[in-house]
Amino acid sequence: MAVFLELSGINKKFQPDKEVAVLALSGVELAIDQGEFVVISGPSGSGKTTLLNIIGGLDSPSSGEVRLADLLLTGLSERELSRLRRDHIGFVFQAYNLLPVLTARENIEYVMRLQGVGEPECRARSGEISAKLGIDSLLDKLPHQLSGGQQQRVAVARAVASTPKLVLADEPTANLDSKAAAALIDMMERLNDEEGVTIIFSSHDPMVIAKARRSVVLHDGRIVTNVRHDLS
Amino acid sequence: MSSLVLKMAWASLARRPTRSLLVVLMIAVSLWGLLLMQGIYDGMTEQMISNAIRSDAGHLSIFARGYRLDPSLDLLVEPEQGPAQEVAGGLGNEGPGLAASLAADPRVASHVVRLRQNGLVATSHYSRHAEIIGVELEGEQLQGRLADYLTTGKYDFGPKGKGAIIGHKLAAKLQVRLGGKIVVSAQDRAGELAGTALRVSGIIRTNNMGLDENAVFIDLARARGLLGVESGVSQLALLLAKGYGEEDLAALQGELRAGWPDLAVSRWDELYPALMQSRVLMRGFSLVVSGLVFGVAGLGIFGVMLVSVLERLREFGIMLAIGAGLNTIRKTILLESLLMGLAGFLAGALAGGLSLLYFRRFGLDLSVFSEALAEFGMDAVTYAIIRFSYFSEALAAVILATLVSVYFSLRVLGRSRPMAVINKG
Repeated sequence: MAVFLELSGINKKFQPDKEVAVLALSGVELAIDQGEFVVISGPSGSGKTTLLNIIGGLDSPSSGEVRLADLLLTGLSERELSRLRRDHIGFVFQAYNLLPVLTARENIEYVMRLQGVGEPECRARSGEISAKLGIDSLLDKLPHQLSGGQQQRVAVARAVASTPKLVLADEPTANLDSKAAAALIDMMERLNDEEGVTIIFSSHDPMVIAKARRSVVLHDGRIVTNVRHDLS
Repeated sequence: MSSLVLKMAWASLARRPTRSLLVVLMIAVSLWGLLLMQGIYDGMTEQMISNAIRSDAGHLSIFARGYRLDPSLDLLVEPEQGPAQEVAGGLGNEGPGLAASLAADPRVASHVVRLRQNGLVATSHYSRHAEIIGVELEGEQLQGRLADYLTTGKYDFGPKGKGAIIGHKLAAKLQVRLGGKIVVSAQDRAGELAGTALRVSGIIRTNNMGLDENAVFIDLARARGLLGVESGVSQLALLLAKGYGEEDLAALQGELRAGWPDLAVSRWDELYPALMQSRVLMRGFSLVVSGLVFGVAGLGIFGVMLVSVLERLREFGIMLAIGAGLNTIRKTILLESLLMGLAGFLAGALAGGLSLLYFRRFGLDLSVFSEALAEFGMDAVTYAIIRFSYFSEALAAVILATLVSVYFSLRVLGRSRPMAVINKG
């Protein structure tokens, strides 16, 4: 299978002030194929979120290269990165991050609207995806009317509704109880199978990590483990 | 997408209803005051101009060339004189006379003739400088509704033409009342002193300072007799018919100048330059006040929008992260401030428009200041004017204030990267 995402020599240094420098990522090398279901784990501060942000073009590395579907991300302008995220990457955040003034349906359809998809098509797609995720009865509700688990499912629906090639999820189960967390991961796995979307998510929950087909472990900004699991 | 942008803008305003309403109210009140001020100031100026046109200058006044520098009885206009044209043996004045030409011209609603001479008016106790103006009352009523200016007495010179209508300030200075005897005297055409005794038949208040302080209107025939003038008048003033405007006035002035080159044809604003300056001054004043009002409104919107943007940085960060470009966010913020500005404009325009309609119909009664206002040639009751430009200019100012006020908020966003914004928020 062709390499879909390739990171080579990624370093990321944060410098909160002149005398202090923190190396968040150091010499990260990673290649991920199309359709993989990958978990990035590691203790707090190991660089999981920074790595996901760099993969998604939300942050830039201090050095190194990121290639997504043969496109070199480093060096793209903010406008180009924004277009790339809109058309090819779905995001699920730890704190759901739904737009508070839009209903669940409008949140799900938001990226499609940005892409210029017509309303009937948006409706059909949001209906289809919300049925798959079991949130079709919640579509007219505002985020504050939903529970944490429901909000996270809406966030997942938003991330996949625009049929991205890649979904990045930063600790999507962190604010959920174990039952809701397991259900969410099952659902993401199903989407991975049915929609063929490459999913990369971060977690430090062993139950969630165990469900991934490939596990990348970070420690102090370095990849210490990178293994595929045979779950069959 | 635009419906979502609109919804987000509207929802953001509704999220802090008190704050949004306060800004809307601030814009509305500012606009209301501004519209009211413009309408009433313009009403005052236009009334002053109207008074000058009705009571004296007309839209055009025709004098003998040199008369205005040296108002002598030797410099008179002959209303029957035809236009200058080439005739056998040189230039001649054949064809219909000036008065007849004006009467036949559809652009001219009416014209009046006046014979004027500076002189003296005296009672048994006081005497004052006066401008003796011989007029035909019917024509003056048709042209300037002179009778409307009467504060007391009749619009009549009596059966023998021995009445006089005088300005109210002159009456006060002479301490003469209705029916009181006055003697007017002036130098006649032959250079001799001539005088006649008259009774005050009416007192007028035109708010045209020159007339109120000096005018003694007498019958034209009596004035001719008094001043020894058989024909000719000092001034011929005309009013333009309804439906004709500035361009027609300029064309008519040009035609009259060409036809009667020995006459001076002056527009009202050439005779009363102070009124024209007053109009320009009012316009300038109005622009300055508009600038101040919308500066304040703009600051209000700026404050609210900056706070609104800063407290929603996280939301904008999410939008950026999931692929909304900065332009989409800019549109949301702009639309939000425009909605607020337009709501303020609509409320202010409605309140201002209704107030102006009221004051146009019933007037603003400033009788308590009537003496002071009269010093400036203003009426005690001012009738407001409503112009479309008040609203279109205000709308443009609101939009401009809105755009300028969100500029800095947009700059704050323009420098941001998604994660930095989310983390800041």
